[in-house]
Amino acid sequence: VTGREAGHRAGTPEPDPDALEVIERGAREQLEGWVPELADENELRQALERAFDYRGDVLITRKDGTQIEGYIFDRRPGSTLADSMVRLVPKNGAGKTSVFYTDIAALAFTGRDMAAGNSWEAWVRQYWERKAAGEKGISLQPEKLE
Amino acid sequence: MPVPVSQMWTVASYVLKQKLQGRKRYPLVLMLEPLFRCNLACAGCGKIQYPGHVLKMQLTPEECFRAVEECGAPTIAIPGGEPLLHPQIGEIVAGLVARKKYIYLCTNALLLKQKIDLFQPSKFLTFSVHVDGQREHHDFSVCLEGGYEKAVEGVREALRRGFRVTTNTTLFDGADPRSVREFFDEMMELGVEGMMLSPGYSYDKAPDQSHFLGRARTRRLFRAILSNRKENWRFNMSPLFLEFLMGKRDYPCTPWGMPTFNVFGWQRPCYLLQDGYADTFAELMQSTEWASYGTESGNPKCANCMVHSGYEASAVNDTFSSLRGFWDTVRATLSNRYPDPRALELLHEPVRPVHAFNPLVQIENHAPQETRV
Repeated sequence: VTGREAGHRAGTPEPDPDALEVIERGAREQLEGWVPELADENELRQALERAFDYRGDVLITRKDGTQIEGYIFDRRPGSTLADSMVRLVPKNGAGKTSVFYTDIAALAFTGRDMAAGNSWEAWVRQYWERKAAGEKGISLQPEKLE
Repeated sequence: MPVPVSQMWTVASYVLKQKLQGRKRYPLVLMLEPLFRCNLACAGCGKIQYPGHVLKMQLTPEECFRAVEECGAPTIAIPGGEPLLHPQIGEIVAGLVARKKYIYLCTNALLLKQKIDLFQPSKFLTFSVHVDGQREHHDFSVCLEGGYEKAVEGVREALRRGFRVTTNTTLFDGADPRSVREFFDEMMELGVEGMMLSPGYSYDKAPDQSHFLGRARTRRLFRAILSNRKENWRFNMSPLFLEFLMGKRDYPCTPWGMPTFNVFGWQRPCYLLQDGYADTFAELMQSTEWASYGTESGNPKCANCMVHSGYEASAVNDTFSSLRGFWDTVRATLSNRYPDPRALELLHEPVRPVHAFNPLVQIENHAPQETRV
């Protein structure tokens, strides 16, 4: 599932984009810590699609028992599990690698969701609270890298 | 100081060459992201939310040069992350200048004074400094009180040393058009070569947000801002793209016009959407399902996009596709005031941001003469 298919909500007619004042988007899913059941091919494909959208590391356990943890930056779904793959940057610093869908036994959303909680609304609320408390030089700072 | 004739000629001759070769899809600007790491933490940013081990990754100069050669675009924009955090950014820029590429190094300028000795003034190098509006607006937008002052200090230092400098401004929901127009005055007074503008985009992978500017609201905002222009305002952009933002013309998206290369590879399909990566530029061009993207495709992820990375290339293509397009560009360049009484009325209308608690509308520092016809 790519591009247009991925963006469409099934059964929902799309409004004229030029007439829209505001775009409504659903809230992000809370996926951190999730361990999806991978009972069938459909569940596996859907879970990997969510893992591709996830802004944190995931842990993949292969059917041979080996594990790899890292950030999924690409997925290439094919017509069968054998010709479908995810591509990831391992957490241990090794180079980019691929895992075929057919080799995956388990998936876990182990890393922190780096996009969670950083919304504009959260900043605005925080800003006014800190301002009201008399704070000067208010800012958000990037996290220190480990 | 306007855009050098040599740059205009390079871009024009490049586009004409593509046309003569019958190339339907060609890149205009390479968006080269050498790293995602940033020294700002702008709320809602959809560009840099990655685990630490990804933020530590960076392109080598050789990887940058290879991407530039593969792509072949005459212009390179270097965004990020903050490119001045890259330890070899001086080497990367020098290598691109040696290849006679026109470079826009996009920076928040927090480190510009400190790092400016890494660079030599050149017609090929422009610092494109991120300033999102007047002081309070910019500081709030980048979540850093004092950020505007540092950016302006960087601009002044770069200009003093003879560098080309533009500003780049992203306008979000709640932008006050009167304040934006005053901001244009301030930047022109500062002496920048030109200004770049774009509406914000709702990054699909951005932090959780439920509302974004739609196209109708974006057009109204830009009509208010860009009509009744002052004579001294200079924009470093296609004049037809500015007319597109004002709602005076419509274009389909050209997602391949500004391809993106970063630590993951060649990003599909464009600078904004991340629908996967290709390993080579040729693979990106050949294997991406281009018809699935752009507002006209019906893809909801593209529904509110009017961003330069998709539509400025469409405008440039229009300029060189017909005599009409060329004439429209000449007309828009020579006659660029766009008198519009209705747009002046729009300046009076209260800003009604979708986001609650938005403090920007409470800043009341616009000049009274702006409200007169």
